[in-house]
Amino acid sequence: MIHTIIGDDLQLAHSGQQALNGVSLQVEQGEFFAIIGPNGSGKTTLLRSLAGTAAPDRGTIRILGQNIEDYSRRDLARKMALVPQLPDQDFTFTVREVVLMGRSPHLGLLRMESRRDHDIARRSMEATRIEHLADRRMHQLSGGEKQRVMIARALTQDPAIMLLDEPTSSLDLAHQIRLMDLLERLKKELEITVVMVAHDLNLAALYGDRLLLLRDGRADQTGPPSEVLTFDNLERAFGCVLLVDESPVDGLPRVNIIPGRHLDRD
Amino acid sequence: MRWRKAAAKTLLFAGCLLLLTLPSRAYTAKQLTDQTGRQVRVSASPQRVVSLAPSLTECVFALQREDRLAGVSANSDYPPAASELPNVGTYVAPDLEKIVSLEPDLCLATRDGNPISLVRRLEKLGVPVFALDPRDLDGVFDSLRLLGRILEADKEAEKLVLDLEERIDRVQQRVAQAEHRPRVFYQIGTSPIVSAGSDTFIHELIRMAGGTNLAAGPKQYPRYSREEVLVLDPEVIIVSSMTENRELTHKVRRMWSEFPGIEAVRSDRIHTVNADCLNRASPSLVRGLEILAHLLYPGLFRQKNLPECP
Amino acid sequence: MTDPVRQPNTPLRRLGLISSGLFLLLGIIFFLALIWGSSGAKPLQVISTLLGKDSSVAGTIIWQIRFPRAMLAALVGAALGLGGLVFQALLRNPLAEPYILGISGGAAVGAISGMILGLSLCPGVAGLAFAGSMATLGLVLFISSGRKTLQETGLLLAGVMINAFCSSIIMFLISIVQTDRLHNVLYWLMGDLSGASQLQALSLLALLVPCFVFVFFMARPMNLLLMGRETAKSLGVRVTATTLALLTATSLMVSATVALSGLVGFVGLVIPHILRLLLGPDHRVLVPGCVLTGAAFLTGCDLLARTLPTQGEMPVGVVTALIGAPVFIILLYRSTT
Repeated sequence: MIHTIIGDDLQLAHSGQQALNGVSLQVEQGEFFAIIGPNGSGKTTLLRSLAGTAAPDRGTIRILGQNIEDYSRRDLARKMALVPQLPDQDFTFTVREVVLMGRSPHLGLLRMESRRDHDIARRSMEATRIEHLADRRMHQLSGGEKQRVMIARALTQDPAIMLLDEPTSSLDLAHQIRLMDLLERLKKELEITVVMVAHDLNLAALYGDRLLLLRDGRADQTGPPSEVLTFDNLERAFGCVLLVDESPVDGLPRVNIIPGRHLDRD
Repeated sequence: MRWRKAAAKTLLFAGCLLLLTLPSRAYTAKQLTDQTGRQVRVSASPQRVVSLAPSLTECVFALQREDRLAGVSANSDYPPAASELPNVGTYVAPDLEKIVSLEPDLCLATRDGNPISLVRRLEKLGVPVFALDPRDLDGVFDSLRLLGRILEADKEAEKLVLDLEERIDRVQQRVAQAEHRPRVFYQIGTSPIVSAGSDTFIHELIRMAGGTNLAAGPKQYPRYSREEVLVLDPEVIIVSSMTENRELTHKVRRMWSEFPGIEAVRSDRIHTVNADCLNRASPSLVRGLEILAHLLYPGLFRQKNLPECP
Repeated sequence: MTDPVRQPNTPLRRLGLISSGLFLLLGIIFFLALIWGSSGAKPLQVISTLLGKDSSVAGTIIWQIRFPRAMLAALVGAALGLGGLVFQALLRNPLAEPYILGISGGAAVGAISGMILGLSLCPGVAGLAFAGSMATLGLVLFISSGRKTLQETGLLLAGVMINAFCSSIIMFLISIVQTDRLHNVLYWLMGDLSGASQLQALSLLALLVPCFVFVFFMARPMNLLLMGRETAKSLGVRVTATTLALLTATSLMVSATVALSGLVGFVGLVIPHILRLLLGPDHRVLVPGCVLTGAAFLTGCDLLARTLPTQGEMPVGVVTALIGAPVFIILLYRSTT
């Protein structure tokens, strides 16, 4: 089994606090790996370390068998694409221009985009269903549309690994499902490894092959959803009572919130 | 017959000699040292002179060589005929293009004000620049003599200098009789109050006019607060103005009227004098001296002869 | 759906068309700047001088006085236009302009000190101005370095603070300067191209052309930087190295122009915005656009500054503001409606 990503004992201090306190993980090739945990557990920091945009103080990361520090930025960008949480600034670019930015790691400083690059961009836009927005400017789009543009851009990078930070947070239900379905399709058809920080535990359960539960900068649990999403694990990590049962759809774990008024009874 | 031939040959020879001297006189350039120590190559008879400061314009007119002037600095207002001549810009920012377009064969500059970079550029473009830098009255006389040499006006220069020296002597003799030298405060501006130190023409003029410059000292244009002037207690206040400016006089009088403790205020000896006669490095300085003497010693000079500036 | 066959050529062709058009505009304005001046219009003499056949006084005026001045104006305008563009991209702030990282403050302190000491404009005052701007830039970088190395907010704040501090020093220096030198100081502070010589123009050209080329190479990374540091990194940009390199090259460029021409405001702030409104945000088009438009704009403004007043010259910074501000406001209004 080829480990696409190996993180070993990662430690990172940020603004005086220890964001990562010795996290180790292994992501297999072609799997959908979801990182879950309460706020402040270090999810985004972990993702940033794996993406190479934040260097850990201690510990090593190996991407596709090579130490991440031995990659040049450009080479890494050809292997790995990051979709950050906040849609970043500059909204005057057109959708097409932003999507084409994904080709930069393959083009270097001066080469202009070729027909092939435009084709790749077009296909990414088709996959994310935004080709009708190609000539609009970013500031004219809704939050969900912007998110899909970012994913299309990441796709254009032609990566082996895609890292996403809470990509569904600004999407409505329909788009959330469509996005997750898209990621699943990419995983299956293009064999892209997907690492996603998930806010919604149920989405993580339904789409993730393996989950990593973070707590206080440490890896609390790793494994398939059925192993990680248990009542004990969740209560310990999130500090609240949650009922876990089986989803009627496919038997995968389902996390239920229990309003306070029901708690007195049990 | 033979003597006629000889006479003709002699005449021809003399004629040739004469012809030879004429062009050589026109093409002989002089290598002179200007007042800033630079070596300048000046043609024997400059015909198109550009003056880069009003004081220099005035000097050229005083030497009666105004016909040689092709252009003058802005504010060259004395004598009045000077303002008819082409204007080449202010003396702190002369217009290089205008100067060059007048095709001068000599520029007269002053170290006090003209930018050195402009002087260098003019020389690079082939225009000789003769710089003057008179620091006191003797320096002004030297300037006049130098200008006389350049502009073929040696006689006029000597006469002018003698004339001026005579007028100075007359003033000094008169004021030597006085027993008490009045304390004088020369004022430029009201906020801040600026006066003139020892390294200025005004200081020299005050001294020669029999007064004591209260602002004497190493700083050329020292600043004073009103308190400090109060402590100095001047007997005469001379206010400098650019033109006959009644408003400024009123302003200054109003300012000092709050302090009757100052003797000049009590005896109403606050006078305005046109600055052109007090700090322009030209013959007008002597006029300024005469004015000052009249103001400092009204008793020694007949009042109805109060000189004016210009 | 757009035609995929057309797409690959459009950006390149667009760049070529825009550059040629702007170059033509610059050429026309440059030509006009040679024709007009304080000693009158000389259209025919310009042509004969350029063909090398005129050695008269008019020829001297055109070749030795107007030509270097127009060249200096074009180079300074180009550098400022480009400098504004780069700083707006690096700092991700639309209010950024070329003097923002302490350059104007340091240069002014150096230049005014030089003028008080009575040094000549070049190399004395210019040298001190350059040294001053480099010193304050170093100070700004030092202050804003640290864990969050070269973060935009840190740089901006440090730059603004240093400029404000220098302003008070400048006020003090102005208050003690001799009255006759005051004129020169004020003119320098408002932009003064009158001291242009051929040597200055050529030296500036030699320094600026490599900087322009370098920044053009950095156009794509600048596009990516606008998307955020993280995104840029994930797309392969070495953010810290690129930022530092661009900062250095641009600061060098701007400092050199300040040393020779004083502080010319408005060009670096307004030209990039105008071009962005007209040409879009792609820096591969904006870099040559800002260089050429900045050059044309300042050459035109300088021409007006020295020919409009009946006597003397206006400071060129006044003209750039009087023209730039209304144009910008009109464009902004039309783009938002």
